[in-house]
Amino acid sequence: MSEKNFMAAFLEWLGDAVLDFKVPHPRRVFILVKYGYHKDAISWLLKKFPLTIISTITGVDLSDMIELNYHLWCGVAEVTVRTRLPKTKPIIESITDLIPGAALYEREVFDLFGVVFLGHPDLKRLLLPESWPQDQYPLRKDWRMNNQAPILEVKPIEAELSRDKSTVNVVLGPQHPALHEPERFLFKVDGEIVVDVEPRLGYAHRGIEKAAERLMFFQDVHLVERVCGICNVAHTTCFCQAVELLGDIDVPPRAKYLRVIIHELNRIHSHLLLLGVAGLEIGFETLFQYIWRDREIILDLMEKATGNRVMAEFSTIGGVRRDLTSTLADEIERKLNSIKKRIKFYRKVFKNDPIINLRTRGVGVLKESDALKLSVVGPVARGSNVKVDVRKHDPYAAYDEIPFEEITYDDCDSWARFMVRLDELEESIDIITYAVNHLPSGPYRVRVPRKIPEGESVSRVEAPRGELIHYVKSNGTAYPERVKIRSPTLGNIISMKAMIKGCYIADIPTVMASLDPCFSCTDRMVFVDVRSGDRWVWSINDIKARMGSGSEH
Amino acid sequence: MTHLNLVRWARVKSPWILHFNSGACNACDIEVVALLTPRYDIERFGVLPKATPRHADILVVTGPATRQAAPRLKRIYEQMPEPKFVIAVGTCACSGAPFKECYNVLRGVDKVVPVDVYVPGCPPKPEAILYGITKLLKKIGGVEASDNV
Repeated sequence: MSEKNFMAAFLEWLGDAVLDFKVPHPRRVFILVKYGYHKDAISWLLKKFPLTIISTITGVDLSDMIELNYHLWCGVAEVTVRTRLPKTKPIIESITDLIPGAALYEREVFDLFGVVFLGHPDLKRLLLPESWPQDQYPLRKDWRMNNQAPILEVKPIEAELSRDKSTVNVVLGPQHPALHEPERFLFKVDGEIVVDVEPRLGYAHRGIEKAAERLMFFQDVHLVERVCGICNVAHTTCFCQAVELLGDIDVPPRAKYLRVIIHELNRIHSHLLLLGVAGLEIGFETLFQYIWRDREIILDLMEKATGNRVMAEFSTIGGVRRDLTSTLADEIERKLNSIKKRIKFYRKVFKNDPIINLRTRGVGVLKESDALKLSVVGPVARGSNVKVDVRKHDPYAAYDEIPFEEITYDDCDSWARFMVRLDELEESIDIITYAVNHLPSGPYRVRVPRKIPEGESVSRVEAPRGELIHYVKSNGTAYPERVKIRSPTLGNIISMKAMIKGCYIADIPTVMASLDPCFSCTDRMVFVDVRSGDRWVWSINDIKARMGSGSEH
Repeated sequence: MTHLNLVRWARVKSPWILHFNSGACNACDIEVVALLTPRYDIERFGVLPKATPRHADILVVTGPATRQAAPRLKRIYEQMPEPKFVIAVGTCACSGAPFKECYNVLRGVDKVVPVDVYVPGCPPKPEAILYGITKLLKKIGGVEASDNV
């Protein structure tokens, strides 16, 4: 269905409620509906395209109004349904009854813009700290930071004693010995079985979206690189694409291929990292050491190609920052061939090792219908047999010219999610080999003016963890009006509740690792005895010893 | 060898570390983890990553201190037994850049806990972090030697 037919069908359904619509770029549709009609528009989309998932909700401050943009991927186009509400009375109906996956996005807008969503099951803070003042909404344009001293006392861990006597609250985080982001999880357990989980995000919330508004477009490339240190290439590519769409900038074909090469190298490094961590969480430390040793080869290639092991700083607006020499291209091809043999070996390990099978098969099941409903992305969705690979369905850079397979598994468990990543590694190597051999000649970047014409664009890429979306709005100057970033982990974290229900406590690290948000094992847990109200603290080693998970870490 | 010398010798030979991310973008974190892997193998200096602050001598902090993480960072530092040392890994942990003007960030971690060694870089290479740790080990040896009674 082309965008034109789509709009015609849509206008027929909503008629007068549509105030404005435009199709500025291929596969991008923006529809402005009257206040109160956004739910009709979204339910029509869901009826017409049952595979519709929500990407995110962007709030934009229009001085006296707040504009809400619901970005939905319906299989053929990224449809942005938008509606405006007065700033003095920012109240709107929640869409969580239509798409339960929108819950976290609505909480984010509530937190940063102060929009109240009627009918939301659990409307509370998502990102800002508990000590943040009640009526301060940092992403509104009129908000100014006052340099008050922060409140530095630690509130006791919420020990909501449940009335039901058999359940116990277990808190994990925010400090973890192994890896990555500090987040906190409140697990409700009944004996050994996890009944419920409630994540608390925001320990790493820095306010990049606000910071991006005070930097110029070309400076923002370096800022968004630092959203995530692991999938930094995806972030820069996504942001640059959004700005290139706005400025109508043609990227040279060589730059597109070079972006693909570095993007896929980045994916290999990220997937290897996760598979190693998975080995660690399962209690298979040898696997971790082996995989991370092989990962160093990829990082060496990254360093040679981009100048840095981790932060690539490769894409820029109008192309890439460095060219690839033919010697290095040969080396990449040669080294990847040797990595491919190792990956075949790891695939065999994950497939046949009895311990990995026992720890991951049938653990953390996310049914296909749940995956769709919760709008999960990336390998998590593909492990539940949902086809969401942005590279395939909404191709960018040179992905429309490069042959590759979209990997899906229908096992829907942790094992399937690991296997998706293992198979994607092989695909990535094939993509790089193809790109290196078909690298077009010519320039690798074009110079672009600092001022970007007025407009807005939505850019999507397939980051290692799934769909990454950037929404960029320009007001005609060198500074962006609004930059919205939705990273894949925020899309996936909501599925944890569905996965972890009914699992054993000892399975928590494995299931978390299979999600790849990278906050797996943790420092200590506070146990609360519901009957006496006593609290005591165990170290992770005590717990591991008790749970028999085996790894002394 | 006096018993103090023995303690110092033991301390320098087995610096156990605790890694805490106070709001980093993960780049420094994966470089810290890379130290444990075969190519860098930090265990040859006696360094072991520990799960709880109560077992750690050195706190390795990555990332700018965010408002939400800062109280937890302070609490983790307080839980460590004396003598304790802090290494700030990465430019964010050193000064907060490029997030130093962000609303939810308190700049470098030295706004919250005292820092002994700063390792700048975005992210610093594992070799640089290794250099920072060995530098701290020298400092531990030196401080002890100067007030050796």
